Amino acid sequence: MHIPDGYLSPQTCAAAYVVAVPAWAIATNRVTRVVKTRNVPTLAVLAALSFLVMMFNIPIPDGTTAHAVGAVIIAIALGPWAAVIAVSVALLFQALLFGDGGVLAFGANAVNLAILMPFVGYGVYRLIAGRAPLTSRRRIAAAAIGGYVGINAAALATAVEFGIQPELFHTASGAPLYSPYGLSQAIPAMLLPHLTIAGAAEAILTGGVLAYLARTDPARLAATHRDVPATAGEPAPAGGRRLTPARVSLGFVAVMVLLTPLGLLAPGGAFGEGAPHELNLGQLGLHAVPAGLAEYNGFWSHTLLSGYGFHDGQHANLAYILSAVIGIAVVAAVIFGVGTLVERVARRRRGTDPVAEPETA
Amino acid sequence: MGGTVQASRTPDWLLRGEPGLCRCGPAGIRRKGSFVEKTLTGGADLLRQVMFSEEIAGRPGLLQRLDPRLKAVSLVVLLVAVGLVHHVGTLVACYALTLLLATASRLPLAFFIKRVWLFIPIFSGIVVLPATLSIVTPGEVVLPLWHWHGAPQGFTAQGLTSAALVISRVATSVSLVVLLTLTTPWTRLLAALRALGVPRIFILIIGMAYRYVFLLLGVVTEMYEARKARTVRARRNDRAARGFVAASAGALFGRAGHLSEEVHLAMVARGYRGSPRTLHAFRLRAADAVAAVVVLAAAVTIYGGDVLVGR
Repeated sequence: MHIPDGYLSPQTCAAAYVVAVPAWAIATNRVTRVVKTRNVPTLAVLAALSFLVMMFNIPIPDGTTAHAVGAVIIAIALGPWAAVIAVSVALLFQALLFGDGGVLAFGANAVNLAILMPFVGYGVYRLIAGRAPLTSRRRIAAAAIGGYVGINAAALATAVEFGIQPELFHTASGAPLYSPYGLSQAIPAMLLPHLTIAGAAEAILTGGVLAYLARTDPARLAATHRDVPATAGEPAPAGGRRLTPARVSLGFVAVMVLLTPLGLLAPGGAFGEGAPHELNLGQLGLHAVPAGLAEYNGFWSHTLLSGYGFHDGQHANLAYILSAVIGIAVVAAVIFGVGTLVERVARRRRGTDPVAEPETA
Repeated sequence: MGGTVQASRTPDWLLRGEPGLCRCGPAGIRRKGSFVEKTLTGGADLLRQVMFSEEIAGRPGLLQRLDPRLKAVSLVVLLVAVGLVHHVGTLVACYALTLLLATASRLPLAFFIKRVWLFIPIFSGIVVLPATLSIVTPGEVVLPLWHWHGAPQGFTAQGLTSAALVISRVATSVSLVVLLTLTTPWTRLLAALRALGVPRIFILIIGMAYRYVFLLLGVVTEMYEARKARTVRARRNDRAARGFVAASAGALFGRAGHLSEEVHLAMVARGYRGSPRTLHAFRLRAADAVAAVVVLAAAVTIYGGDVLVGR
């Protein structure tokens, strides 16, 4: 799934770097905060580990062998931010030393495999595993499913990056300049092998390694499993994750970003959103556009991206994606604002009333 | 690698395929290698490739003489220029140029071409093959193969152009990257990235990771060789195999964890306090200035020439 140079336009690669660079900066910051001197050797060894995990041949049920990426198991064992750095460095080695994956496309590969994959996989793992004990079957299944979903999320992102190329970049005669497959071809072509072979390899590796570590070396998992009991008999340590406004808005952004390509694929228009001249009046039993509709239609015309497009109507898909980015950012900011407000009000109320919830203090 | 091997300083026995790692079975009967052999071969290939690259980077030649910072920046500039090209002809000319540079840098040409074309551009060729047909890329049908509702279907001019663009662009881009990596020792390349403003912590992580890849590769190879030694006959048992892969990867996690703690303590004992110090001194010479001008002119010519030919 490593994208070589030449499949994506330089513009797409630049956009991927715009996403990847802040993620690297945050990841470094998050990892450095814990122990200042320990991060460099730890991350270096992890990056080497990540590189080698990509080399393992995994026998899969169809009788052949396949490679896994290992981003999700690294995220489970050491946290998703550490996985971001480790997998990115491993991808850099592959790009520079072996020509596997491009240099311009390195940002895009990092976004897919080193950022999206560990976070999606880790999120799914946390969601399914819940507070189940470390050695439980449920936790192992959660890891396997996390690996499976993670690699498929990465494959979907790769397919979307490929799929937007022919629409955006082509010669005057219509010959695509970069990856020639549109979204409707790239997505099935990428997802089919990843839903079967590559997904299976990733699930086997992620579930298998977690089972092994939980059984033989649970100390390795301590960093990310503080609030989880080791075995079924032990009581769970107190204190779990809380739903903070930042987490809720981030979750919203993640879900929306994953759903955005649907609008480009779906045929037809949305129900009840047509302009008056698009209405089939005869079918509705009307003779004219209703007066109220005619009067108030176009009441607000000061839009930034009218009809999810630019004013000149060029680059429909690019405009759609830009609209999606702006829309998601605005809604996420509103969720964050409202959440922060609610939290602050709740805290103040708790502060004035000392009897309320004394056990949380 | 053939003739290039004899000329190299890498010991001959290291570059030869070992019988123990050979995927072919006894008496010439080919069988699919097991996961153990595949992983071992992969590890051996990795070492071989890295040693060979480092050795070539040490030979005298045109690109080897240039400042690594300049080479890194030039790579990005040229990759972007090649990325923006709209004509196959321009890309073919660029590819010819990379061959010229490879010859001037005394890279074994056969090895260079093989390294570039094996896998990625050939793989791309297979991938873009269906895109030459009118069912994927609509357009002017130049070679009709069948008819669908009376309309001719087959290879389209647009599809063929697109496939040629992708393959030539991929080949040229890979050639440029290989030119840089084959003519620059890894440590010099890292120092150049540092000099270009990549944060020091990343350079340190990348540099140390490179060192520990080979150490941990030794651990993996030992585990797999031990497994191979214990295997009496080649009957598949996928369940056990998956268990072994998970256990060896898990054991690697454990080893890596211990290793990082030991390395950390060793670094602290030697006075590491969280801010690394590196020794590097690059000096741009007249040759580098000339090269910078040449690269810039080349990038402008590639892009400008392509625009002049017509969009």
